Amino acid sequence: MTEPILEVENLVTHFPIKAGFFRRQVGVVHAVDGVSLAVDERETLGIVGESGCGKTTLGRTILRLEEPTSGRVLYNGEDITDASNERMRDLRAELQIVFQDPYASLNPRHSINDIVAEPLLVHGWDRKKALDKTGDLLKAVGLLPEHGNRYPHEFSGGQRQRIGIARALALEPAVIILDEPVSALDVSVQAQVINLLEDLQDQHGLTYLFIAHDLSVVRHISDRIAVMYLGRVAELADRDELYENPAHPYTHSLLSAVPVADPDLERARNRIVLEGDTPSPSAPPSGCRFRTRCPIAQPLCAEAEPEFTEISPGHFVACHYPVPPGQSLVDLVGSSAAAAG
Amino acid sequence: MLAYALRRILQAIPIILLATVIAFFAVTWANGDPRARLATCTTCDESAYDRIVELYELDKPTYQRYVSWLGDVVTGDLGISTSQGERPVNEIFWERFRNTLLLALPAFVIVAVLSLVLSVYQAIKQYSFGDYALSAFSYFGLSMPTFFFGLVLQAIVIQLNNSFGWKFFWTQGLHDENFKELIASITLPVLTLVLISVAGETRFGRASMLEIKNSEYIRTARAKGLSERRVVFRHMLRNALIPLVTIWALDFAALLSGAVITESVFSWPGLGRMLLDGIFATDLDVVMAVVTALSIMAVLFNLFADLLYGVLDPRIRLD
Repeated sequence: MTEPILEVENLVTHFPIKAGFFRRQVGVVHAVDGVSLAVDERETLGIVGESGCGKTTLGRTILRLEEPTSGRVLYNGEDITDASNERMRDLRAELQIVFQDPYASLNPRHSINDIVAEPLLVHGWDRKKALDKTGDLLKAVGLLPEHGNRYPHEFSGGQRQRIGIARALALEPAVIILDEPVSALDVSVQAQVINLLEDLQDQHGLTYLFIAHDLSVVRHISDRIAVMYLGRVAELADRDELYENPAHPYTHSLLSAVPVADPDLERARNRIVLEGDTPSPSAPPSGCRFRTRCPIAQPLCAEAEPEFTEISPGHFVACHYPVPPGQSLVDLVGSSAAAAG
Repeated sequence: MLAYALRRILQAIPIILLATVIAFFAVTWANGDPRARLATCTTCDESAYDRIVELYELDKPTYQRYVSWLGDVVTGDLGISTSQGERPVNEIFWERFRNTLLLALPAFVIVAVLSLVLSVYQAIKQYSFGDYALSAFSYFGLSMPTFFFGLVLQAIVIQLNNSFGWKFFWTQGLHDENFKELIASITLPVLTLVLISVAGETRFGRASMLEIKNSEYIRTARAKGLSERRVVFRHMLRNALIPLVTIWALDFAALLSGAVITESVFSWPGLGRMLLDGIFATDLDVVMAVVTALSIMAVLFNLFADLLYGVLDPRIRLD
């Protein structure tokens, strides 16, 4: 097995909650709470989960756009969690990010050329070459080099996201974190951007960490998928394995929420509707974090935290009672209800 | 942009005219008859009375007097000051304007630089001791009345003089025999003007910088691998500058039109004092000259701020 290009070990990011006149710390948001992942070169690892589960914070922490509370991030075996600011600036040439909101993430006062060429200029390119390269990048993402003199407000959402991608590509990075790159776009444009991302991955041998909450998009683009819940990884498996044999009850409920495009099937479908709200990440439940909403929770779930275990090759799950392959959670809920009755 | 500026200047003409009409009629009606002043004058004779009637054309209706005043102003004649021995107002105006500039220019430069530096510092070091200290200073400046702060400064300087014989600053008037005297006389009034303006502008600048500091595109800038300096100066500051520029332009217009209270406290012979003295002396042409200049400056500096917007913000199209 080859060495993974990006490794995350037990990463924790906590945000202090400060209140009162002296701004004392009164609590902590456990945004990312012990995540371990490994991403291989040229792979796309999808990360899914509800809003607020820490996906975005995970992506930002990997790039040190947020400071990790503990844990390590290894890039090509190098620990970057305590790399100096200078080293980090160099590493940003290789680790890039595309942000979720194409409207807010481009500086309105800078022209497209300024935005895309700036990383090149600060990494020592001369202006003429940087502008040529910018033209090429704009072409690569399906825009025209002449667009470089315009400003962000003159573009549509999809075009802006392409600009964001061109900017991320400028320094020819090895890894790009895609933080919900299409969720702000309308569906017709989503497909264009996804296809563009796939083409670019083939051409440049890129490694993607694809963060999303849209399961069908993630299924389309990912090789492997990690499911996050309240700051932790609940399940991690190859794409097909995850969709065909989900083991974590949370994954089951997520998958059952995907609508089917056939009205008859859709009506007949058994959906698992989770009860209650996601617990607050400032006071996560004891034991298994999902137990408060899990339809098959047992007393053990409140006492012990489930280990992240490999149930079949490459398929990891953090659950005391994983759903056996081929079974649906609906059946299990039915039988446990019957057993209780 | 040139066409835009020209159109704005043309649009400003009715505004300035309206301002002068209001001022003219207000002064005429509120202050009553300039002849009333002569009633308490023991040395004045009948000829002084006639002279005033002649100067102000008091035998004509108010609107005719306004039209004739306007005609003079358009040809560059601001009239005659009746309270200063029939000196031409043009002469007085330019002298006073220069004196006001002596205060306004240094005050403006200091205010602009200080408010910029302080708001950048406060935004970057939000919730630090320095941020809190500067906020406290801002609230002090905002809540301190001008006349009182001016008097406090004078009291301190006079005390220093009495106790130690230190004679660094003038507390009254303009002394321009040489550069050293000039500096000694502008220091206290400039300090007063600076404190009042810088306090408000720093609050404003801090808020504007903070809003931008937390925006997504600043995260983008960091993700590009830019140095912190470049993030602050190329990305934050340029965006934060826009609201500050408006405030600066309006503030400068206010400083130029004469800080009435500050000039009074320091007996400064500037435009503010000129206006005040003119009102007390029912010196119509003097009052009208200052009011007209004031409205022209307000309009011009607003226009200047708008033009600067266009330079700073590509989303604003001036056409």
